Amino acid sequence: MNSVGEACTDMKREYDQCFNRWFAEKFLKGDGSGDPCTDLFKRYQQCVQKAIKEKEIPIEGLEFMGHSKEKPEGSS
Amino acid sequence: MQKYPNPMNPSVVGVDVLDRHIDPSGKLHSHRLLSTEWGLLSIVKSIIGAARSKTYVQEHSVVDPVEKTMELQSTNISFTNMVSVDERLTYKPYPQDTEKTVLTQEAIITVKGVSLSSYLEGLMASTISSNANEG
Repeated sequence: MNSVGEACTDMKREYDQCFNRWFAEKFLKGDGSGDPCTDLFKRYQQCVQKAIKEKEIPIEGLEFMGHSKEKPEGSS
Repeated sequence: MQKYPNPMNPSVVGVDVLDRHIDPSGKLHSHRLLSTEWGLLSIVKSIIGAARSKTYVQEHSVVDPVEKTMELQSTNISFTNMVSVDERLTYKPYPQDTEKTVLTQEAIITVKGVSLSSYLEGLMASTISSNANEG
């Protein structure tokens, strides 16, 4: 599966591999501590943010860097 | 003859994680952006521009590793001025056999500010009352 930003696909795959491993081997077994993928995620995010701005994708009210957000209301 | 993807069923062509974190109760939240293609004929794409043939969906999921449940909510972020498709799925262990999973799925489709379910109700109500008058 590709990224929305073509340039980000490799970073995305690296992050996905790291996440999937942590998810299956740690998180689902009850160990939610110590996310080893933070650096990969940051790099990947920078790329995705840039692609989203360039493609003018209308993401509403999403705080990055860890705040949980309410689902936005339906239509504009 | 080349076959095109089904225009009634979009295929997901891109997935990105926008945010991911574990909340104080230990549940994993993910916000994802999905991009979908509708299989438009390439001539249509060349007229409207390839970038415009993609539609985007925003998805929020919550995984509870203790209860072994997953909840997904997604909503379209393209064409929000025309239609709103909100989908909600929950995956839970099947009570009688926890090796199995129960999936509950619902979708609310709203067209131009009128919920389809209320439009149908209105239509039925006026049909019933006009039939009663004829009797």
